[in-house]
Amino acid sequence: MVNLNKNIVRSLLITSYVLVIAVIISGVSALFVYLNTGADRSSMLHTEIKKVDQYIPEVKWSLINNEGRLMDDQTLKTLENDYLDAWYVKLIAYKTNKTEGVKDYYTDNARKNIYDLIELNKDAEITIESTTLNHNPTLEFFSEDGQLVVLTDKDVIEYKRVFKDEKLVLETTEKSTYKIIFLLEDGFWRIRHFVKESSENYQVENLNTTKNNLNIKGINYYPKETPWNMFGDTFLESIISEDFKIIKDSGLNSVRVFVQYDDFGKADVDKEKLKKLRQTLDAAEENGLKVVVTLFDFYGDYSVLNWTLNMRHAKTIVSELKDHKAVIAWDIKNEPNLDFDSRGKVTVIAWLNNMINLVKSTDPIHPVTIGWSNTQSASLLKNKVDFISFHYYEDLEDLDTSIKSIKKEAPNKSLVLGEFGLSSYRGFWNPFGNSDSDQAKYHKEAQEIIAENDLQFMSWTLYDFAKVPKEVVGRLPWRKNAQKHYGFINDNGTKKEAFKFISGQ
Amino acid sequence: MKNIHTYISFFLIVLMSCYTTGQNNEVTTDFSLETTQTEFEVGNLIELKFSTSREVTPLLYCSSSYGSTLITPTYKNKQLSYKIPSSVSNKIGVVRWKLIFEKTSLSGTFIIKPKEEVSSIETYIGPPSIEAGGKDYTMLVVIPTDSLDNPLSENTLVQAKHQFLNSEINDEIYTKNLIAYKNIYSQKESGRILVSSESLETNSKEFSITVFPAIPIDFKISASRPHDYADGNQITTFNTSTIIDKQNNIVSDGTYVTFFITNEKGNVLKTEGSTINGIATSKMIHPDYETQWSIKAYVDGIAESDVITLNYKQVIKDFDVVFSENNREIIIGPLQSFMKQIIPDGMQVKLLIYKNNSLFKTETKTSFEGLVTFYLKPDVYTKDTYTIVVKTAGIEKTLNSKTLW
Repeated sequence: MVNLNKNIVRSLLITSYVLVIAVIISGVSALFVYLNTGADRSSMLHTEIKKVDQYIPEVKWSLINNEGRLMDDQTLKTLENDYLDAWYVKLIAYKTNKTEGVKDYYTDNARKNIYDLIELNKDAEITIESTTLNHNPTLEFFSEDGQLVVLTDKDVIEYKRVFKDEKLVLETTEKSTYKIIFLLEDGFWRIRHFVKESSENYQVENLNTTKNNLNIKGINYYPKETPWNMFGDTFLESIISEDFKIIKDSGLNSVRVFVQYDDFGKADVDKEKLKKLRQTLDAAEENGLKVVVTLFDFYGDYSVLNWTLNMRHAKTIVSELKDHKAVIAWDIKNEPNLDFDSRGKVTVIAWLNNMINLVKSTDPIHPVTIGWSNTQSASLLKNKVDFISFHYYEDLEDLDTSIKSIKKEAPNKSLVLGEFGLSSYRGFWNPFGNSDSDQAKYHKEAQEIIAENDLQFMSWTLYDFAKVPKEVVGRLPWRKNAQKHYGFINDNGTKKEAFKFISGQ
Repeated sequence: MKNIHTYISFFLIVLMSCYTTGQNNEVTTDFSLETTQTEFEVGNLIELKFSTSREVTPLLYCSSSYGSTLITPTYKNKQLSYKIPSSVSNKIGVVRWKLIFEKTSLSGTFIIKPKEEVSSIETYIGPPSIEAGGKDYTMLVVIPTDSLDNPLSENTLVQAKHQFLNSEINDEIYTKNLIAYKNIYSQKESGRILVSSESLETNSKEFSITVFPAIPIDFKISASRPHDYADGNQITTFNTSTIIDKQNNIVSDGTYVTFFITNEKGNVLKTEGSTINGIATSKMIHPDYETQWSIKAYVDGIAESDVITLNYKQVIKDFDVVFSENNREIIIGPLQSFMKQIIPDGMQVKLLIYKNNSLFKTETKTSFEGLVTFYLKPDVYTKDTYTIVVKTAGIEKTLNSKTLW
């Protein structure tokens, strides 16, 4: 017995020894391998430049006519970059009450002032979410040795949201003028002195467009094969043109299309996509249709620090297409009220308000609206939009009452029923769903209500879709399948019964 | 049903907000600003006072040059008093405030002015070196700041002072866009400008600007040598005249001068030197045969000298060639210089060996104690007849049909 035990102990010792050695060797070899994986040779020189736009307010330099040394474009560009970065780090610092990044853009003495305020705000639990929308810098002075710059930044539009104990206490927009001294230190243009010269409350005059007599009789449009991916690789102008012909022939006069924020490249709008959007407008023009362009779809951030990016997105698209004859109106955002719960109503409304200002200042001609998802939200920002549009998927019985109450709240605005429709899905997931004739009946009734209330309308939608991406209604099959069958034309290309009532005639 | 509920509550909210907005107009009148002062000196205690009939303590938003904050008041005898924190009141600029009470719209601004004192004079000067001649200049930028690190108000007087040679100049400049600046021009002379500034009886420290001479103008060169023999041993020294700029300032030490020497054959030799006190010196070993040098110096791309010529006389008039050991050992010499002295070691002697009228081999050696000995090895130079040419110091001797065996 003793012998056996001894052997067991021996073999255990040996195996454990082998195991320990194996672990040590594998550990050492892993370390050795790690130490031998140096930087990739191609990345050694950091030759590739990665710049992500985080903050791009409008900057309009006034004519360069400064005292001192002649300014060159390269230096001016660097100065502008560092100046905007200085604003950005400051905005973040006041939002988070942390000092990261501040020292890169403010000199020793100047950063102390920011640190002091952060300290004060931190103790009182004050945070400030803010952004700047416009800068109009004038270069006042550039020293002969190229190390010191003075500039005046006129009419800086600052939007601020002030929180105390995480509760919003103030929302304000100010127009201020600053004088700033920069020093070139370690290759950075750092702020040395920052003096506010004037400051006033800023309010945008609401420019209502005169063009209020639209007569929208339209439909929300996605191509049959590529719903929610209209401007992708499979984009074909001929398909769209054919569809537009069907729409025109059915007696309608307009379509509503969607620009998806991420899909269109966010702030740096994809030129290819923009070209496809223009082709879509061209096709509409050829077929005698007008287009309501929805500027933001599938976007739900609204955070103040990203405003400038969103604004660049909208501005690029609007200024590119505002002269196109097919454009009839801008829909700022599709169903923003759905984000009230997750992002906060104040945040969303402020974002919309600002975006309307931007679109109107870029294109003062075309009317602006917001595609509210229900009738309850329809009268929000009623004084900012040129016409009210809302979506309706509820019981038709209540529609009349809802319309009446919106009309009461906003008597001077014309109303557009921006989306409505009924899914004719009856199948495994919903055996007692609506039939094609139910759908036809729905549209008939809807058109009666529309006629009665003198509404404009855009129905949902031309085609039944074979595929619906999960981002639209989620993954649940009964929802997905329902969403596939809202069309006036089924996936075989045959017109459903409801097609008779597509234009209400 | 749920929908109807949210619907109703929504309307209630709308109604209530209408009601409160209606009230607000009255509330606004409940507060009124008592502080009439709208200009304050930086660093002083600033207090905004409001009279109110309500016992509430609304926050005051206030936004200064560097950022914004909220201020909590103290309430006493129907008066609200807001003490502006030092991080706001210590920086100049416009401060915007807003009383936050429901939808009240009471807001305003006040200005914080800099102190009428200078505690430090921030001075930036550059470039640190300029060129003499009155065209080039350096720029003095002054930011007078008060004790709380604020730039002073517009049109503050700054004395910009500088000294150069016998002149001491005091210019009066005024701040504009937070700074004051002055261009300081060079004069004809090179040297050092001392700069300082003064504002409200506070003086800056001393700064100095170096005024370098301008670019050189054309100059002369000279050469000196121990003798004019082409002995391949002695050294000729070249000197420039004192190189100056057009204002007669001696150019900066270290100005680089290149001497180009062209001999009769058109070959070019090059030697360089840099200036000390305006004079550049450079040397070149004598040629070992009779020739004429013409020399010209340049400050590259800027200035040049005149051309000088030097003649070198032949030193070796003639030499003996002695054959021995089956004509395989050839002794050349003694090589004698101009006073019949043995030529210094190192004179080059070349042996050109022709076979059947074509060059077979070249051997080169240098002299030692006046003699050069060649040995033509039987392995290389087989038994045959050769023509041998000896070349040294520009002299050539041909020895025809020597048979080696």
